[in-house]
Amino acid sequence: MDTQLILFNGFNGLIVGAFYVLMALGLSLILNLSGVINFAHGGFLAVGGYLAYTLTPYIGFWPSLLVAPTLTAILGVVIERTMVRRLYGRDPLYSLLLTFGLAFIFEDMTRAIWGAQGVPFAPPEYLSQPISLDLFFVTYYRLFMMAVVFIAVLALFMFLRYTRIGVRIRAGTLDLETVSALGVNVRALRTLNFAVGIFLAGLAGVLAGGNLSLEPTMGANVLMPSFVAIIVGGVGSLPGTLVGGLLIGVAAGLTSVWFPSASEAVIYVIMAVVLLVRPRGLMGEEGVMT
Amino acid sequence: MSTLVADGLHTYYGKSHILHGVSLEVAEGKITTLLGRNGAGKTTTLRSLVGLTPSREGKVTIFGRDTTRWPTFRVAALGVGYVPEGRKIFPNLTVDDNLKVPLQRPGPWTAARVYELFPRLAERKENRGRQLSGGEQEMLSIGRALLLNPKLLILDEPSQGLAPLIVREVFRVVARMRDEGISVLLVEQNVRMSLEISDQVYVLDDGKVVHSGSAAELAADEERVRAMAGASAEEWTLPE
Repeated sequence: MDTQLILFNGFNGLIVGAFYVLMALGLSLILNLSGVINFAHGGFLAVGGYLAYTLTPYIGFWPSLLVAPTLTAILGVVIERTMVRRLYGRDPLYSLLLTFGLAFIFEDMTRAIWGAQGVPFAPPEYLSQPISLDLFFVTYYRLFMMAVVFIAVLALFMFLRYTRIGVRIRAGTLDLETVSALGVNVRALRTLNFAVGIFLAGLAGVLAGGNLSLEPTMGANVLMPSFVAIIVGGVGSLPGTLVGGLLIGVAAGLTSVWFPSASEAVIYVIMAVVLLVRPRGLMGEEGVMT
Repeated sequence: MSTLVADGLHTYYGKSHILHGVSLEVAEGKITTLLGRNGAGKTTTLRSLVGLTPSREGKVTIFGRDTTRWPTFRVAALGVGYVPEGRKIFPNLTVDDNLKVPLQRPGPWTAARVYELFPRLAERKENRGRQLSGGEQEMLSIGRALLLNPKLLILDEPSQGLAPLIVREVFRVVARMRDEGISVLLVEQNVRMSLEISDQVYVLDDGKVVHSGSAAELAADEERVRAMAGASAEEWTLPE
């Protein structure tokens, strides 16, 4: 088995894992504060990617990298304010049904607007070069992608750790009622938190579009692994989500070296093992979701 | 003028009817105490007043405004500090972060002043909420509510489960809040000590107000105090 193949697949796994992380962190934020399992999260990813595709000819790649996720987040705010909010505090089944329906709508809307065929979305030419001939799979774009994901995750963690709003979001994760009794507008807090989560999905969409190509179904493909990342890492723990996402990405990548056909199944095997050994997930705290 | 007026509150948990027309008033700059057995509806009354469990009938007026249908955060933002039953500090946050949660209304209370009032908390700034003792948690819960710079402070059984020495300290702080011009609505099981610092008293039973009057008057009625204190002392020995 040659090392280059292992490195190639391991690196691919890391890239894929980074996408899972961006997706899963957004899902986690929304689940933790609002108790909503957002099945439409993949739809937002696709919207982000396609918006960047449409915007790039006009404003260029670099501005699109920020503008497309921002527009996606604004769409998220509209949907939260008009639909999702009404279901807070009810049986989770309601919001599950709503977001499940939204996921279909998103997929069909992207298909109607941009076509069922995948569209190529190329990052700037100079980013597509490999850094060396031996490591042909390590392109500047992929390194750049890793850097963006790293910065986004770091920014998110700093925001939650050091800003007053971030502290309130962490407090609300465990006891939103008391946060509200302390005078904090919890409606606005939930909307903002939703927007941050959707922004991350939109960003993942732009990055993913530049890595592969854009397809209406691209969101659905990363949604399930992202849920797995949350469960493996431990529901309620954002650092856990980070670890879970990278772990299953790399595991799937490496599995494809030896058993390509098992590379999709392996993440569920990992989930099953983690749940058997440690039901709350790798870094989850006991009783968070009770 | 009254800081808070509740008029004929009827509150339900699902189908069970908990409050049957509770009316009470909190006078400005005074300590008003709500006494009563476990399950008399004291906590439900407070929850109805701050909008956590809105009443189905009746009216709540705070600082002259009808807040009956307001969401809790708007009531709080009006200047109502709430120290909930069981303290409800955020266990995953440090003491310092716990104090960053409340809305910052303008006023004399800052984190620095809270640490001055409770030096014990200053020593434990970086500890997480779950690592604090019951007394420290109570101080944090009170300090957190003070950062809102409330004009009305509502406390739900602040002495619950605390050692006698700490209980005395908590009551001292509550009395001091009145001296600072904050109106106080207190729910307590510790009858004797709360009568000592209170101005006005309401006794609640089965979701109804069964007695109201001045604290001094009730405190003078030794037989009644002994009956009420005895009842709560008995409940204290029950396993949780």
